[in-house]
This record gives sequence, C-alpha cells and structure tokens, in this order.
Amino acid sequence: MPYERVLMQNVGVPNSTSLQVYKAAGGYQGLVKAFGMKPGEVVDLVRQSNLRGRGGAGFPAGVKWGFLPIDREITYLCVNADESEPPTFCNRITIEHDPHMLLEGILIAGYATGSTVAYIYMRGEFMEQFHVLQKALDEAYQAGYFGKNILGSGYDLECYIHRGAGAYVCGEETGLIESLEGKRGQPRIKPPFPAIEGAFHKPTVVNNVETLACLPHILTRGLDWWLSLGTEASKGPKMYCISGPVNRPGCYEAPLGITVRELIYGDDFGGGMRDGKKVKGVFPGGLSVGVLRGDIFPKPPDGQVDPAKGYDELDCILDFDDPRHYGLLGLGTAAAVVIPEDVDIRDVLLNVTRFYSHESCGQCTQCREGTNWIYRIARRIQSGAGRSYDLDLIAELTENMGMMPGLSICGLPDGAVYPIRTLVQKFRAEFERHIAAQTPDAVAKTIKAINPAAYELPIQEGRALAHVGGSMQEIGDRL
Amino acid sequence: MSWETIDRTTVAEEKLGPGLSAAAREKIRTFFPRYPSKRAAMLPALHIAQDEIGYCSLRAMRDIAELLEVPPSAVMDVVTFYTQFWTHPRGKKVITVCRSLSCELMGGKEVLAALKEKLGIDEHQTTPDGKYSLVTEECLASCDHGPCMQINEKTHKCVRVEDLDRILSDPDNDKISMPRSDIFDAPQKT
Amino acid sequence: MPKIIIDGKEVECRAGISVLQAALDAGWNIPHYCYHPGLKVVASCRLCLMEMKMPHPQTREPGWAPKLFPACQTPVRKGMEVRFDSDKVRENQKHVMEYYLLDHPLDCPVCDKAGECHLQDYSEQFGNATSRMVEDKHKNPKKDIGSHTLMYSDRCVLCTRCIRFCDEIAGTGELRKVNRGSRNEIDIFPGEPLENELQGNVVDLCPVGSLISKDFQYKQRVWMLNTARSVSPADSRGSTIWIDYNKQGVHRIRSRYNPQVNEWWISDEARFGWKYINSDKRLNTARIRRGVSWEAVGWEELPGILRDRFASADENATAAVLSPMMSCEEAWLLAKFIRQVAPRATLVRGYVPIEGEDKTFPKGFVIKAEKCPNRGGVEQIIAHFGGNSMDFDEFVKAAGAGRFKAAYVVGGYPKEWITEAHARAISKIEILVAHDLFPSLLDQHVAVQIPTASFAEREGSFVNCDGLLQPFERAISPLEGVKADGQFFHELAGEPGLFRAEKFRVSVAGELEMFAKVHVPPDEPKYAH
Repeated sequence: MPYERVLMQNVGVPNSTSLQVYKAAGGYQGLVKAFGMKPGEVVDLVRQSNLRGRGGAGFPAGVKWGFLPIDREITYLCVNADESEPPTFCNRITIEHDPHMLLEGILIAGYATGSTVAYIYMRGEFMEQFHVLQKALDEAYQAGYFGKNILGSGYDLECYIHRGAGAYVCGEETGLIESLEGKRGQPRIKPPFPAIEGAFHKPTVVNNVETLACLPHILTRGLDWWLSLGTEASKGPKMYCISGPVNRPGCYEAPLGITVRELIYGDDFGGGMRDGKKVKGVFPGGLSVGVLRGDIFPKPPDGQVDPAKGYDELDCILDFDDPRHYGLLGLGTAAAVVIPEDVDIRDVLLNVTRFYSHESCGQCTQCREGTNWIYRIARRIQSGAGRSYDLDLIAELTENMGMMPGLSICGLPDGAVYPIRTLVQKFRAEFERHIAAQTPDAVAKTIKAINPAAYELPIQEGRALAHVGGSMQEIGDRL
Repeated sequence: MSWETIDRTTVAEEKLGPGLSAAAREKIRTFFPRYPSKRAAMLPALHIAQDEIGYCSLRAMRDIAELLEVPPSAVMDVVTFYTQFWTHPRGKKVITVCRSLSCELMGGKEVLAALKEKLGIDEHQTTPDGKYSLVTEECLASCDHGPCMQINEKTHKCVRVEDLDRILSDPDNDKISMPRSDIFDAPQKT
Repeated sequence: MPKIIIDGKEVECRAGISVLQAALDAGWNIPHYCYHPGLKVVASCRLCLMEMKMPHPQTREPGWAPKLFPACQTPVRKGMEVRFDSDKVRENQKHVMEYYLLDHPLDCPVCDKAGECHLQDYSEQFGNATSRMVEDKHKNPKKDIGSHTLMYSDRCVLCTRCIRFCDEIAGTGELRKVNRGSRNEIDIFPGEPLENELQGNVVDLCPVGSLISKDFQYKQRVWMLNTARSVSPADSRGSTIWIDYNKQGVHRIRSRYNPQVNEWWISDEARFGWKYINSDKRLNTARIRRGVSWEAVGWEELPGILRDRFASADENATAAVLSPMMSCEEAWLLAKFIRQVAPRATLVRGYVPIEGEDKTFPKGFVIKAEKCPNRGGVEQIIAHFGGNSMDFDEFVKAAGAGRFKAAYVVGGYPKEWITEAHARAISKIEILVAHDLFPSLLDQHVAVQIPTASFAEREGSFVNCDGLLQPFERAISPLEGVKADGQFFHELAGEPGLFRAEKFRVSVAGELEMFAKVHVPPDEPKYAH
C-alpha cells in the first residue's frame, strides 16, 4: 500500500506557499479543532501520541510541555528553524513548500502551552526561505490567524522571525535562547531548563519545525492514525533526507522505521547509487550520529547472512532506538549522506572534524580544544603524514570529550565524537592502509617542519616515530 | 608573538569605518517592540547594519551598542561569534560555497577551487573590482542539490565547474524569484 | 548545616553552596579555573567534574551515575555522596589539563605569574609531563588593553573570570570573548580600554599568566616575595590587602579576602596608590628649628624635648591633632601623652580628606570618598579621653584666632593637605610639632619636625567606615632615619618596653571596648583561588 504523504502533502503543488492553496487542502482545520479543546487537552493528546522531537534528540514534545510551571505568567515559544546539521534539509523543504503548515503547528503549540509570543529562530543561511516564510506569516496575520483574539477564540499570539547568522550551536535549545537574547549563542548550563527559565528568564518551549508541523495532522487525522504509523517506540511519519551520490537525492516522507538500505536503494527513496557504485559508509542521521559501514559486503539477495563473514550495517532501522545498536548516537535528524566506495576516508574525517572544530562555541575546554586538536590531527593524516598512534589518540580523545552522557554543557561534543570515533573505529583498516603507504619519513618530515625542536629519533620498522613537541613520547608498540 | 604588543586601547579614525544612517537606526528601533529587552534586537540590528554598510564596521557596532544600551564590546562579541557577519568590507556580491560533506562528495571542492582561480581570490577576500567576495560555509541545507553555493540571497544548486562562467557573468545571479520581504534590506543595494 | 559525603568522608557544610565550595572549605584540592565564589557560575572549565551517587532510573538503587557532574554547579543536598578520588575523575582532569597546554606557549621563564600560576600547579598535580600534540600551536598576540593591564592571549585558559568581573562587579563590561571555538580570545573593543576603577582585580582573578599588571611586570619573581596582612589606607572602607615585599621593599599589593568588607576585591587606588611610600621627597630626619636653620635630633632625645616643650606651654592652649591616617594605637598613645603633659589639652580630629562622592558598584563594592582609613578610630579615642575636643576646621579657625600656643599636628597623608590658609592660621602657634610624611607649607613655622612611617612600615589597627577594627601587620622596615610611629608614641607616652600592636590592644581593651573587638577576616580555604 503506497504511503500517503502528509508532512509533504503540498510539496510540488503549484503555489503551495499561499494560504489559499493550504486552506484548500484542509489547512488550519487542526487549529480550529484545537480551539475546540482546552489547552490541557491538547497537551494530553500530544503526550498520548508520543510525538518525539524531530530535531535529533527525540524527546517527547508532550512531556516537554508538561515541564512548564503551572503558575507561569508568560510563556515563550521558540521554533527551532536553525537547521544546521549537515546534511539535513527537511525543515527547509517544509518552510519552502508549506510554510503555513509550520505556522499552524506554531499556533497549536502556542495555544496548548499558553504562549503569547512565538519566535521562529531561523538560520541565517536560509535567505530565500526567510522571504517565503515572512510572506506566509504576513498572509496569516492578515487572515487573522495571528495577533489578538485569533478566530474569535480569545487566544492571542504574536509571531516573529528571528534570523540567525551562521552558528550551528544555536540549534541547541539554550544556545538558541541565548542567541535570541542578543548574545553569543553559547548554550546555558542546566538546570534550570528552558521550561522553567528560558528566553528572557521566562518559561520557554523550544520545538523543532518538523515537530510542530506534525501537530496539525495529529489533530485532524486523530490519534489512531498517528499511532498506526511507525514502530513501537517511534510513532508517526518522518521526513527522511538522503544526499550524496545516489540517483534521487532528496527528502522523502515515510513512517518511522525504514532501513538505511531502503533509504538508499528504495525506488521511492534514493533509488540506488549513482553509476552503480558501492556504498562505503553512511551517516544515517546527520553527521552527529556517527557512521554505518556499507563496504564489508552487501547482504546476499536471499537474506542469508554468514555471521563469520560479517555484513554491512545498512539494515539499521531509522527509528529513535535502533541506531544505538550500531554504536550510533540515535536517530538524529534522519538525514543520510552516502559515502561512495571511491572516496578517501581521510577526506571524510577531515571534513567532519573541521565542521565540529569550526562550530564549537568554545565554552567547555574539552570541546573547544579537543575538536580542534582532532581537526589538526586529521589534517596531518590527510596530508599523508599520519601515524597509527594518531588513530588511538583520536579514539582516546573522543572517549574523553564526551560520549553520552556527556562531559560538557551541551551535546555538541557528544555529537562530534560519535562520527569521529565511529569513522576511526569502523574504517581503521583503511586508515592503516593509507598510513602504511606513506613514505617512511613523511611523519618525521612534517613534524620537523612544524616543530624544529623535535628530536631526531631512529626509525623503527620502516615507520616514522612519534616526535612530540620538544620532548619524547613513550614509544612502545603503538607505532 | 609575545614580544609584540598590539595596542588595543586606541584605534585609528580610519579603522572605525562608516556609522549607521538615521534610517537604519529607525529600522533597528522598529525591532524593539518584538522583544522584552532591547538587547535581543542585536542580530536584526547587525543584519541591518551589514545590509547598509556591507559589513559590521566598528563605528556601526558602537552605534548599535548605543541603541541597544549595551557596552560596545558586547556587540563585538556577538559579531565575531557568528560567521555571517563581516568585520571588513566585502564585495557587492558574496559567494558562499558550501563545504559540508554532501556537497564535498558531489564535487564542492572542485567548484571552490575553480571559483578561487576564476576570481583570483582566496576565502574571505574580495576581487580588486569589488564585485565578488568569496567565503565558505558549513552547510547551506541544500544537500540534495549539492554542490551548492549562494550569491547573496540566491542559492545556486547542482553547480558544476563548467557552469561557473555562466553564473558569474549573469548580472542577475543574485536575484531571487520569490517576492522579498523588506523587513531587512536587500544586501548591498547596487 | 547539611552533611554530605565527599570521598567517603562526612563533611558538614553551609547550606546553599556548591559541592566544589564545600570541598574546598573542607580542605580538598579540587582543580578549578572558572569557578570563583564571587562570580556567576559558568561551569565551563570542566576541571571540577566529579562522580555523584544517583538513584538508578529503573531500580531506584543508589549508585555512581555514569555521567560526571560539575561540582561548581551542583548545590549541596543533605546526604548526597560524591567522589573526586576516582579514576574517571582523574582521567578527566588529566585530559583537560592536556587540552589547556595544547596551545600554551610554555613561556614560564618570562612569565610573571610563574610560581603562583594554577596552570603550573594543576599541570604538576593533575596533568601530564608531556604533551602529545605535534601540530603547530596557535599563536595569539599580546595586547595592551588598559592603563594597568596587559593581556597575553596565548596563555589564556578562557575561564572568563575577568569578563564576569567586569560585567558583574565593575558593571562596565569592557572585556569580552571574541571569535568562536578554538579561536576564542579575550579582548576589548578597539579604543575602549579597560579603565574601570577596579581593573586591577582582573589580574588577581586570572588563574594563569594571561592578565599581567604592567605595574608588577618583570619586577620580581613571586617566590622571592614575602607577604604581610595589611589594611588599605586608601579610603575609609578598610579593604584588607596583602603586601608583597622583600628586602628591596614593597613590590605589589593584592586584595585579601574579607567577606564582611571588600570580599575578594580592592580598588585600583588601594592596589596601585602606594607608590608614595618610595618617594624620595619623604621626610627622613627628626629635627628642631634653631633660628633659621634646622638641627637634627636623635630619636632617643625627642621624647624628652617634646615633654619639656609642651610642659612649658599653657595647658589650656595646647592641642594634639590626631590624624585619621594614624592607627588606633598611635592615636591612643599620642592622646595619652598630650593629656599627661597638659591635662586640659584639646584633642583635635585631624583633617579628613574627601574626594568626590562614594562610588558604589553594581554588586555593592564601594569606593569611599573619604580618603583616610581611621576616622572612626580616632573619633572613638577622642570621645574616650573626653575633655576638650574639636574637629580640624574648628582647630584651624581657633588657631588663627590665637587660641593655641602649643600643638602636636600629625599628618601622614599621601597628598598635600595643608593649604595656605591652614598654614597661615596654624603658624600662629608658637610651639608647633609637625609629624608628617612629606614636606608641607607648615615647615617654615614648625619648631619640631618628625617624619612618620608609611602604612607598610607600621603595625596597628584601623576602624573602617562600618566600625570594624581591623589589624594590619608591618611589611618592611621604616625608611632610614624614620621610626615606626607606634614605637615612638609608645616611648613618648612613657610606656615600658617595645611596642607590639597586638599586645597593646589587649592591654587597653579593658579601657576602651573597641580594642577588644578585633575583626580578623577568615583566610580563604587553602586550595581556593
């Protein structure tokens, strides 16, 4: 049975960003339904639906709303449209093609939580999308969906778009709040959590675009429909993104629970690899969740697996829990990028480490120094002067920088260490191959060039020895 | 470098750059009612300043500090945190090339290298005629159309090296098709 | 007083403090950079992470949580159990110390912080001997950020204490972080230097050698310095200070923790305003006028000479001006002396310099307009001795009217304080004894001139604006030719033996209650900084 798209129902419909088209397709009916209920009932409904946050962490939205203090005077709703996790773009699709669905979600969430002001924190790189959403917002204001006494319900909500300016860490909810307050987007220490003390020291709800976009459908189609989709613990539809050298890169909606293999090879999804290349690896949910191997050998068509031979990890189910069984952080943003077989894994490591080094906010020592150190190591490995020891070192550093549960204020270093560590662990053999193919004195030369004070040491077993800044590293058998 | 001391206590007049116009100040003030604190209008104010001046000059930062009632250092702090704000003048059009993994796998590196060669500039530099500046960004969220790049507000998708000449020579390569909202100004009105 | 368990030992602690503070109070050496009890908690250095017992999410069985918690951010709760003495905690400390040294230039031999640097200490105690980084270091520049301060960015550990200080305590916010991630630096806005009146504190606060005082730079190695507990004479606040000195003299003044008065901070006036004690203009000879010329007299002869002179004068026309720069002990002894020789002598509360108005900073730190340390003490002593008394303005007026024939005038102010009008009026006094730090307009009129010692050369106690009597120690010997005032007045009043301020306070405590209530601020815990 082909799955009927809901979150992407208007994608591809001409003029889908207009209020008229959205309303013609049943838009804003969810809001009308919500207004027919008490706010608490909407919260209960969302809690029963077990709508888990689509931003990456998968925290149930209804539970999050439940943390708000009962006697609060003012509540802010922050919409996290700071979609910065490479290679994620599902929020962009929603905003670009169906902005009113997001706005309706905001209204429902705002009504349920009693918010009076909603801020849409939109990443600065969304330029065209900003204009689309602003136009939709203006239209919605004109039609009386925002402002005072919305649709005669007595509920007031103001909504503003707040543009970011290029910082990944502002996608973290407290980083977002800091940025909204006009400061550098450094995540706050918790507790207090935003539900108690968030934006402008007031109770605040932060929800992802896709989470909010689900709300109208839960209300219009009902709980039974929602619960019929997805797996045991992960309910509802999800917008999956696939990019890299596949035949049909793009965003595809499916109930939670498809496998990575389906996402890459399914005719409704990625449509297989371009030029019939093999998969070397996949980041299945944004970079931060880590990498899955695809290169060991594909599973035979009959599905029979010889455990002695091992098999690739593409059968990982993309719901909130299964990726953990493969040493990954979780579902993340369910945006996969496929690494084809002919790509040098050292380039991938360099790209990934550069990203985190560039985006670390610099508050916590582990993250600030660790991400950058690993980046510098990755740069050296990529330039053909790696050591086996570097791989151990990276593994050790990632161990310290923070694996869930983390050691720092926010989850960025946790998100950094998963891809880095899984890359180094799962593709160790390839790194080793590259290192073995280096000229024997490459490391010595590089280190000497960087640090002339490095001691001249004998070469053992044809490999360069560890030169350590000005002093000597115990060598042992690590090299 | 500890043998060299940089004097930060004084600043040469010419380094301050242009300040904000009265219109820009007025525009920044229109953002105040949106937030419970004036300081929260920091990012909009900086966007407005950058749209007007082309970058966030020291004098503009001071002006914003005065408007938002914060020390100028607080504005500098924010400006330097976010990658989209420039603290030195940029060209009329800023080319932002995505360097994230998806785009790199699809050939982003080659596009960037070709751009550098064609424009004769490196990242964060401006062509001598002041037309283009070049910069890379971590992800432009158009991974399905990699490699991609933005010229001002316009996103160019699936850019191939052989397309670059055509894109660069198109005078409208930064015009977007949808109607613009005038809450922020068009970057660098030409 | 909740009790918590740290490393298996039960510790009683104040309610509402963090676990880190409780552990420091109880004598644990917990590495920390960003935490400072006087500033907001940011929990960003991640050095004080600890293990904590938490109930298991399913079984509710208490056990060590897999996560490490920042001790500075975790408030103490009754019965909680934490540990620092574990492999996990040590492993984290080791790694974090390694991170700090990645880009550090290791220029300790030319760094003024060496010897009191917590990067050195913690690396030795908690870190590694070698760095495993072979990559090029980031080299950040040295910056001139204010009239008293230099910023060595490459030594910085980004604890942001200085930023928080400028924001919260000084309220001026000159210092900020710039850039992001590993390119983070601390900087000022170009052309807006760090110029608040408390800026020197950022140097004290800096746990490493990043913020360096221009005043102390390249002057001394800190391990060659001794310290004395003193009280700042800069204003009537009575901020407690450390005087760092050695045989060559005083080299630096730092704030000394005093929860009731100045907490961890002192004003720049107190920190840098002591240079006058090394001035070559200082008086350094006791001398008597003989016609138009001076004759030096030995200190041992002076008491006799003064006694004779005052005894010869009319006791109703005798006065002693007790300067609020004097310690309580000195004021007491001088009052005692003058009443011995002239029981009806007038006690005058000396000149009180006022500059501007009190300046209060956001969190309550005050710089007083009253630029003398001991008005309160002098007033109490005058009140205690009773009899005739007046303040300085009245004294000047009365002297101008010819009311006084003999007077003992004590100064000791760092700045010029005698105006021409003062001098004209006071010159009418025939037997004028001036006990002062610097030459003044009075010099041509005085009969006996006695040099006074500076605050660093004396011991005693000051009563601050809130009435707290705080003792201060002597740091250095008086200038050659000068005698410590306490000892001199001791002899002048005919007291036996050597002057020891503490002993003296005990001996007079029965007479004046003030001397019994000595406020000695508690020391900071050994490993706090």
